[in-house]
Amino acid sequence: MILETENLSKSYQNKVAVNSINLSVEKGQIYGFLGPNGAGKSTTIKMLTGLVFPTSGKGQVLGRPLGDIRARIRLGYLPELFRFQEWMTGEDLLNFHTGLFRLRRDPERNRRVLNRVGLSGQEKYKVGGYSKGMQQRIGLACALLPDPELLFLDEPTSALDPVGRKDVRDIILALQKEGTTIFLNSHLLSEVEAVCDHVAIINKGSVVKSGAMKDLLMERVTLSVRCAPLPREVWRVILETFDGSATPQREDGSLTLALKDTEDIPVIAALLASHNIKLYELTPHRETLESVFLKVIGEGEQA
Amino acid sequence: MIPIAQAALKESVRKKTFIVLSIVTVLYLVLWAVILYCLRCYGPGSGDTEFNALAAVMVTQMGLQFSSMLMCLLTIILGAGAIASELETGMIHAILSRPVGRTQYVLGKFAGLAVLTAIYATVLYAALLLIGCAFSLVTVTTLSFEQVVTGWCLYILVPQAVLCLTVYGSAKLRVVPNGLLMIFIYILGNIGGMVEMIGNLTGSSSVVSTGIFLSLISPFHTLYAAAERILLPSGGLAGEMMRGLSGLTGSGRPASAAMYFYIGVYAFGFLALAVRRFRKIDIN
Repeated sequence: MILETENLSKSYQNKVAVNSINLSVEKGQIYGFLGPNGAGKSTTIKMLTGLVFPTSGKGQVLGRPLGDIRARIRLGYLPELFRFQEWMTGEDLLNFHTGLFRLRRDPERNRRVLNRVGLSGQEKYKVGGYSKGMQQRIGLACALLPDPELLFLDEPTSALDPVGRKDVRDIILALQKEGTTIFLNSHLLSEVEAVCDHVAIINKGSVVKSGAMKDLLMERVTLSVRCAPLPREVWRVILETFDGSATPQREDGSLTLALKDTEDIPVIAALLASHNIKLYELTPHRETLESVFLKVIGEGEQA
Repeated sequence: MIPIAQAALKESVRKKTFIVLSIVTVLYLVLWAVILYCLRCYGPGSGDTEFNALAAVMVTQMGLQFSSMLMCLLTIILGAGAIASELETGMIHAILSRPVGRTQYVLGKFAGLAVLTAIYATVLYAALLLIGCAFSLVTVTTLSFEQVVTGWCLYILVPQAVLCLTVYGSAKLRVVPNGLLMIFIYILGNIGGMVEMIGNLTGSSSVVSTGIFLSLISPFHTLYAAAERILLPSGGLAGEMMRGLSGLTGSGRPASAAMYFYIGVYAFGFLALAVRRFRKIDIN
């Protein structure tokens, strides 16, 4: 595991910000960390990057305990509040962070990261004169300086336009191909859905759902079936085979079921075939991350 | 630590407050030169040597005192936000998530500002002496090399001691409250000197003790007074008069070795407290 926590908690006086969080991130994953405002996402990232001290629990990042400076040599972090020294030029800022990372100054490295974030040619201008989007990009460039093994991105596209968001998505996917593990905190669920392979949803300081993205989205599959009209006995068999939660619905020539398991799809196909029902189309519809998120958070609010 | 120190120094030099205070310093030096010029051209005749000597001590003392105040004001203004401003703006997130220890961060900030204030103090000190020489100010032209060097060492230690306390305040308070508190503490030291002087003049040991107590809270004036004592040693009637009246402030007696030790512990103690405090806080 490149990142692991065990019952990581943080309290401020009487308020619990993060409650017993257990995370496991494997090398090469793009791990999405989601939750509503105030859920404890940023506090968790700050504990993982050594900015905030946990009240209890433990964890390790890149094989070292939380807060260990040596782990941060190959760790990139773009904070949610990206404020930089406005009096520096883009190049000065990169050189400053190069020093912080204990690296030798290398104009070629600077050129490479600037090119990657789309800021080539802007490095001679002062950061104070950059737009918010450009500041977010230069922050990402700084985080990429050490060729990080693990990259924390806290709302990395909050100041970017749609083109900028697409650019960042492409950068994230390219980094994954190069072997970088990415821990992404974002409110933009479509963005997370597009790039992440694992997700944890946090609410009120606790992880309420986590797992591989494909498993989460396929947890409940809506199956649309276009077929010949169903005889009464076939419909009865379907009702007997699937419990009420599948809420089967039929119309002439169509059938809709909400399945818990994708393994039920061939069962339906086999059942129809065994009754000689002509099957024209069988389409599973995945849930969206947004619907999963809203359902999970909604359940938490009701509890 | 070096990148932090370099950035702290460069950032401070670019701050408007530093530029404004540098201009004020230049204006002050020009004013001091004008005063020296007036003293030489329009002062009492050479027959009144005692008054001339007294006037020379007075303008030298004035030059040193106000320069010291400027120096400390600059140190407080730059130091008050050294850590606090980066905490307030969130700029610190991108710094402390790098392989930078918190001790390194605090000491880097201190080192950058210490170098800057030392350079500023040295330039100011040299300018005062050069202007004094240019106008044949007897208190300056008669200084030995040893006096100049020792005076310089003590003179630049004043802002360093102020900086230690200010950096601690910056790790604990927000920028504006810290700046105001540091100015108050600095002024308290000067008041302590005055109270001590009044106690000596009136022969009241309790008033003297109060003055000493205030000097313990704010020992910067004691350090400055030591520099002044080196540069303006009691000698001749003018010196005796000034020293006897304790200059503008103070008891007229040199600070004890224990007091110097206390000032060292005070300065390094607050710097250590700043590190200790900063190592424990959550960066939210």
